[in-house]
Parts: sequence; C-alpha cells; structure tokens
Amino acid sequence: MNRSYYWLVLGLSIPAFLWLVPTLWMVSLSFQPNEVLARTTSSTFFGLIPLPFTWDNYAALFSFGQTPKWFLNSFIVAIGMTLGVLLVSTTAGYALARMEFPFKRAIMVICLIGLMVPEQAVFIPLYTMFAEFGWHNSYHALILPRMAVPIGVFLMMQFFKAIPKDIEEAARLDGVTWLKIFWYVMLPLARPAMMTLAILTFLYAWNDYLWPLVSAQQREYFTITLGLASIQSNFAQSEGLGRVMASGVIASLPVVILFLIFQRYVVQAMTAGGSKG
Amino acid sequence: MASRSKLSQTQAAWLLLAPFLVTYTLFLIYPFFRGVWISLHDWNLLAVAFNPDAKEFVGMRNYERVMWGKDITWSVFNAPILQTLGLMGVALSIFLSRMGRLSSSNAIALGVVSVLLVFLPGFHPGEGGRWYDRRFWPTVGNTLVFVGFAVPGVTISALLLAAALNRETRAMSILRTLFFLSQVLSVTVVTLIWQIMFSPRQGLIANITETFGGTPINWLTDQQFAMAAIVIATVWWSLGIAMILFLAGLQDISKDIYEAAALDNAKGARAFWFITLPNLTRTISVVVILQIILHFQVFGQPHLMTQGGPNDTTQVLVRYIYQTGFRDSELGRASAMAVFLFLIMGSFSIIQFVIGREKN
Repeated sequence: MNRSYYWLVLGLSIPAFLWLVPTLWMVSLSFQPNEVLARTTSSTFFGLIPLPFTWDNYAALFSFGQTPKWFLNSFIVAIGMTLGVLLVSTTAGYALARMEFPFKRAIMVICLIGLMVPEQAVFIPLYTMFAEFGWHNSYHALILPRMAVPIGVFLMMQFFKAIPKDIEEAARLDGVTWLKIFWYVMLPLARPAMMTLAILTFLYAWNDYLWPLVSAQQREYFTITLGLASIQSNFAQSEGLGRVMASGVIASLPVVILFLIFQRYVVQAMTAGGSKG
Repeated sequence: MASRSKLSQTQAAWLLLAPFLVTYTLFLIYPFFRGVWISLHDWNLLAVAFNPDAKEFVGMRNYERVMWGKDITWSVFNAPILQTLGLMGVALSIFLSRMGRLSSSNAIALGVVSVLLVFLPGFHPGEGGRWYDRRFWPTVGNTLVFVGFAVPGVTISALLLAAALNRETRAMSILRTLFFLSQVLSVTVVTLIWQIMFSPRQGLIANITETFGGTPINWLTDQQFAMAAIVIATVWWSLGIAMILFLAGLQDISKDIYEAAALDNAKGARAFWFITLPNLTRTISVVVILQIILHFQVFGQPHLMTQGGPNDTTQVLVRYIYQTGFRDSELGRASAMAVFLFLIMGSFSIIQFVIGREKN
C-alpha cells in the first residue's frame, strides 16, 4: 500500500468518528448519574466519556417500569414476523420460480403492483379492519399485516431461479412429489437466501413504528421502539435523561449485534432489494 | 413412475402459494381497495366504531375538500421559484438526453416531473377565494422541501463516501461498517439521540458552540432551523443503504478502464468525474428514486422531534394523514390524502421499475 492510501484512511477516519459521535454520546450519557446530567451533559470531554460513571440507569430499567416487557414484546413480534415472512416467501417464491400453473403471470403482475403500495397508504383501512375483528392490542395484530410483503417473495423467487434444474429433475424422475422436493431438496439449498431475508425482516420488525403506533394503544402491548417514543417526550422531567438514554441503548443492542454478526447478509439483502425491487 | 396418488403440479403450486395469497389479499389488496372506498365516504372514526351505519357516501367530496377550494384560478408565474426550477428541469432533460448522458426513460421521467412543477403551482385561490383545507398544500410543500434536501444530501455524501471506501482492505471495511451502523437504529432511537444533540440547554452541539463563545441555536423550535435539523438527522440515519448500493454499482465498473485512464493522467477527482460518474448513472437514478419514495413517506422524525412545528413548518404528509385520521377522527378525508400519497408513490415506483428493467 502506498502513502496516499494511508492519508485516505486517516482522512476518512475523521468523518467516520464524527458519524459515530451521536451514538457514542447516547451510550456515554446512559452511564452517567441523572443528578449530574440534570446539571450538565458535558462533564468530561463534552460528555463523551462517561465520568462520573454509574450502572444505576440500567439497573433501574430492569427493576421497575415496563421496559423489560416492551423488550420481550419486540422479540415476540420480530421473531413471529420473521417466521411468517419466511413461510410465505419461500413457498410462494418456489412455486413462482419453478412450477407451471394457470394464472402464473397474472399473480406475478399482481405482486409487482403490490410492491407499489406503501404501508402509509393502507394503515387506515387496516386499522378499521382490525378494529372490526377486535384484534388490536395483541401480538397477531402487530405481526399479520407485515407478512404481506411481496419483496420477500421476489427475493426468494430470484434465488430459486438461480438453482440448477438437474437436481430437481432427477428427483422428479424418481417420482418424488413436488412438496417433498420443496421441503427436502430446495429449502436446504435456500438457507443463505432465507438467512438474508430473515435478518432483513427482523431489523424491519424491530424498528417498525407507524403500525404499532396505531394498533397498540395499551402500554403492555408496546414494542420497545414504540415504548421509547412514549417516554422520550418527557425525558428531562420524570424519567431522568440517563435512564431514557439507557432505554435507547437497550432498544438498539439486539439490532446492532445482529448487524455486526451478519453484516454480509444485510449488505447482500440491501443490494438485492434495492436494485431489483 | 410412483404409484401413490399425489397432487398434480397445479394443485401443489396453489397449495404452496396459498399462505402468500391469503395474507396478501387480506392485508394488502383488500385494505387498499377498502381505503379507496373509505375515501368516498364521510366516515368518522368514533361514530362508525359505535354504529357501522354512521357513514355517508359523498363521492369525490373528500378529495375536493382536501385539494380544492373556492374560486381557484390558474395563472403563469404564481410560484416563480418552483416554476423556474421546473423550467430548468425541462431544459436539463432535453439537454442531457441530447448529449446522450441520460437514457430516454430517465429523460422522460425528469421531463414529466418538471412539466408538472411548472404547471401545478400555477393554481391559486382567485379574489375572494380560498382553499377548503389551508394546511394540505403547505404540508405537501414541506414534504417536498424535506425530500428536496434529504435526497441530494444522502445521495451526494453516500456517493463520495462509496467512491473513497471502494477498496478491499481491513481498514476500509471497518470504516464502511462505522458509516453504516446508524442505519440499523430505529427511528425512535435516532430522534432520541438528535433531540438531545440539538437541545439548546443540554445538547452536544450547544455545548460545543458555547465553549467557542457562540450562542446556541434553538434548532427544533426555530422556524428557520427546524426542517434543517430534521434533514441532518435523516441524512445521518439513512446514508447507509445508499452507500451500499453505490458500492455495489462501483464493483461493476471494470478496473481496466481506470488503468487505461491512469495512463492518460486521469486520477482522483478527474477519474471520478469522467469515469465513475458516467458509468454509475443507472445506479444513481435507482438510488435517487428509492430515496424519493422512502423520504416522501417521512413520519417519525418530524412526529417525534418537532411535532410538526414550529408553526407547521415541519408538518409532513404522512403525519397530516395520521392526525386527520386518529386525532380528528376524519377517516374519509385522511383516506383521500392516503390515496393521493399512493398515486405519487406509485408513479415513482413505475419509473423505478422501468429503469430497473433497462439494460446498461
């Protein structure tokens, strides 16, 4: 590597550090005592170093308040939605990629049109529909509407199309049924694509805001994303800045960890979804 | 051939499609048409919840009440800035397509948007007239201002970063991760961070300005700065996807071109301008349109950071839909606005689809 490369890395480290500062600041504030924060948020180096240090904000989060419940809700909703999207997308993706049947083209066209309908355009009718069923304030109300995302079907369809046909044809000649081929041959092959879709869906579900906001009105059905929104407006008075920041850190931890471990899949998913979706 | 009775290919296919078709019909297609149907009614959320017959068919009245007014007229140069921008867009699309730097579908898309920009702002209430809904068009305007700053902000910074970070080394991959990290945070965490960052009393920005003897700006409650603050938080948040897409696009440009250009002394900025940009036009248009679709639906940032204020300067379309529906209980009017949103989003999706299909 030459010298200009090192200058480039050095030059990019400065904006990268600045990019990280807001997040670092949140983490640092979450480790400082509320009494100190009420006076000043820039104790040590503009508050970026957590001195004076305390664990109290985190201890308080898990000893009282509803944060643990919201955290659990987020996991239930995100995992439920992920499993649902996987089921819907792999089955439909396989059928559309590999099987011949009447009205196939029509279904593909309807899916494409569905890609154009933003959730913001359907959240009101969905709300009235779920209200009529009496479904609001439940886990399935938070999960079900997000299972109807055609993008997952397209991702899986593209993946299945790329698998060579001979494996499947050999199985067909042996008289294996379509459903068995799907389950025993194709699904194991599709693991990387399912992984990508699962991580993307989990991130999406964890961070979803508008639908939980209208559907979950009782605090015990809040997700952590929604719960955090409900306490951030009065951070200065009741809860204490340090505690609210600790909630923010806790709310971000699962997605950040997931992202750091499975970065490759996230990047793949965004590239595929962005350029083809 | 096996002898057991089994499903035919068609039956198996429909069985596999069933979970998708059921959820898709129930939670996307049906709600969509139901939304259109609600928009044709005078539909109060609470009244209809208690008595399902308490709605009244009013045809297009809701659309009229939202978008139209009394004595609306059209005149040239009613909104000179927007219309001049539109004229420049028309000129640009003709010029660029003549130069061959823009594909025909891109040129048509830019042209159509520009013509609309010249034509639509010409409508205004005549003498003694007024809009039926004073807040709707200003809200659409705010949304466009947000899109107009956030999209170029994200696109340009992501493009420059991607070009700089496009090397397969350990250091570069760590830097890419750092820039991408904020993308995985939820909107509520992002607004939590930036609300405090911008706070004039406790904020990091204020603390730093004060150290250097400046007076802190009250970002979120100052009409001049509130939208800027939201754009800054948004660019910080959503740069990652754009950067990843640009990096993917850069991978497709062959290294030979750069080596050939280096012989002609085209390196650094010159190589970026004469090689990278022309070879990346398709990716750039995909990113720009994705960003337009994404940011036109902005809701969380203004809802949580400024509550649409001060003085409605950060009120955006989705937040207005939410408020009209769930605070004012006027589902009919809110649905009419949602259909309007869908039409705009839909037209951008079609442009995106056409560009996506186009070969380089």
